[in-house]
Amino acid sequence: MSHLAHTVAVRATGVDMFFGTPENRVVALKQAEFEARRGELIMLVGPSGCGKTTLLSVIAGTLTPQAGTVEVFGQRLDGLGQEALTAFRRRNLGFVFQSFNLIPTLTVVENVMVPLLIQGRSFGEARASALAILDKVGLKGREDGRPNALSGGQQQRGAIARALVHEPPLLICDEPTSALDKDTGGHIMQLVRDLSRSPERCVVVVTHDHRIFRFADRIAEMEDGRISRVVDDPKLLDTTHL
Amino acid sequence: MYRLALNMLFGDRAKLAMLLCGLAFSALLMAQQSSVFFGIMSWTYTPMVNIRAQVWVSDPMVEQVNDAKPLRDTDLGRVRSVDGVAWAAPLHTSFVQARMQDGNFKLITLVGIDADTFAGAPAVLSQGRIEDLRLPDTVIVDEWGAALMGRMGVGPDGKPKNTPLQVGDTFEINDIQARIVGICRVKRAFTGGPFVYTTYDRAKGYTLGARRTLSFMLVEPQKGVAPAELCDRIERDTGLKAWTSDTVIWSWGERSLARNTFWWFWTNTGIPFSFGTAVLLGLFVGIAISGQTFYSFVLENLKYFAAIKAMGAGMGVIARMLFVQAFTAGLIGFGLGAGMAQAIGRVMIEKGMPPFVMYPQILWATFALVLGISFVSAVIGIIKVSRVDAASVFRG
Ligand SMILES: Nc1ncnc2c1ncn2[C@@H]1O[C@H](COP(=O)(O)OP(=O)(O)OP(=O)(O)O)[C@@H](O)[C@H]1O
Ligand SMILES: [Mg+2]
Repeated sequence: MSHLAHTVAVRATGVDMFFGTPENRVVALKQAEFEARRGELIMLVGPSGCGKTTLLSVIAGTLTPQAGTVEVFGQRLDGLGQEALTAFRRRNLGFVFQSFNLIPTLTVVENVMVPLLIQGRSFGEARASALAILDKVGLKGREDGRPNALSGGQQQRGAIARALVHEPPLLICDEPTSALDKDTGGHIMQLVRDLSRSPERCVVVVTHDHRIFRFADRIAEMEDGRISRVVDDPKLLDTTHL
Repeated sequence: MYRLALNMLFGDRAKLAMLLCGLAFSALLMAQQSSVFFGIMSWTYTPMVNIRAQVWVSDPMVEQVNDAKPLRDTDLGRVRSVDGVAWAAPLHTSFVQARMQDGNFKLITLVGIDADTFAGAPAVLSQGRIEDLRLPDTVIVDEWGAALMGRMGVGPDGKPKNTPLQVGDTFEINDIQARIVGICRVKRAFTGGPFVYTTYDRAKGYTLGARRTLSFMLVEPQKGVAPAELCDRIERDTGLKAWTSDTVIWSWGERSLARNTFWWFWTNTGIPFSFGTAVLLGLFVGIAISGQTFYSFVLENLKYFAAIKAMGAGMGVIARMLFVQAFTAGLIGFGLGAGMAQAIGRVMIEKGMPPFVMYPQILWATFALVLGISFVSAVIGIIKVSRVDAASVFRG
């Protein structure tokens, strides 16, 4: 057990999360238990509305649950104030969104620099690191263009560069491929796998897209606000409802 | 991060242009309207500029320079005997009807100056010599007045043409002939004009029947005597009122006749109110347009600010980003607006209409107000961004 604890990256226990007023209440998470290990890429799957994004937000420290404990790389998030949570995200998290969320008025490289600048790095240093990772995601030569001049796949490559440029231990991706076609989605997941692979890093991917299940080490299935099953092999999943 | 904040601002040229337009327009409106206001107000103390003397002496009841309460001629002697007075000269001003050669009447401002010292004579004569006023029945008319009193006729092109009065032309004041021997260049006035200069004694003749003709006394202090100090002595010794002639209307002080005139018009007329309304309008338009554009700039970038927040930027950083953006836009907008106001002002000064006086204080005030607008816009944006949930980044 002590050996296992050492490998744990994320652990959430007894998490309750509901929205709305007491009379009109939507339960998003109900006594949810979730665990992710260092060095793995774990996917969160399940029907729409089952609470995947909510769980992801709780792990990311952007949403504070009403009950339960959340521990990320040994740091308890419950009980942290807004400022401490912000600092936690700044150091530990990389985000990849479904809609890329690249700032359209900035160049590609400036977008990638954002996490480093938030950490207080100098402009020059941030630019050098950003250029290096843009090279790795295959966007060399596009760095000074605007995101809108890129294809969807290229934009998501830029977003991955932004998510990893500050080498966060936890990478969080919400539906990273659902705005992309099949081949592009596959390439993007390959890129996430290649770049994020590290014995210390944990990658959590929320997805509907069964075509990318093969990139997962483990898959956690969600249903009605809780994890119902965790499998090692995608073939074991019932994908009819996805 | 602030450099990126600026790049975000400059990245959307269309939005930026609109934002700058709003800010520049309000800066322009505020600076331009205030300058025209102070220009018009500067007309109220025109005599202080045109008639140059270090100390003015008037009846104790006089409140401003356009409202002369005649003195006795004997007062002149009393003032001359005050210790520290180098010389004192009489000055007459009055509104009288002048009859033109074509039989038309024009209301003119008659200025009678001392024939010995020519104290109060116009500084610039474009034609003629001031000494010619010593010839019988002579007057000097200002350029603008000469045009105003000119003859309407038909030009060679068939269009109506105004021929200004010239040296040698004559008209009549109270049936007494006035022959023009010079044309002078003076500042326009709020009340009065055309300005017709003549000698003090002849002015008495032109205003036959007037019991008292001494409107003001112009006094030169002896070397080493400060004007304000001399004013004190004159008031103490004669019971008359004495004024300094400085035209700095900003600093507070009781002695300046120009300043008193300015504030008299300020408190006794509706001019400040109507112009104040225009300035306020500029402010509101500015706040509305710039606030609105900046707000929509923030709204458009809201999801990106949310993403930046999710990535770990505190509200402090985001607030500073928004301040950098708003103040940068404010600075540029102010520059554009003030520049346009200057340019318009230059044209106005050339044409002389309407008057235009852009004090540095006006620019500072406009600057402060534009930055105020930027500040308000930034605060609105900050409130908006602070309300957005970092968790919202995962939606849509
Ligand atoms: N901010 C919110 N306010 C109110 N209800 C919310 C909010 N966020 C989520 N919910 C509700 O909580 C439940 C879980 O939502 P969540 O977004 O986590 O589902 P999901 O599994 O990510 O769904 P999808 O696959 O459609 O993205 C849903 O019923 C949703 O309507
Ligand atoms: Mg979701």
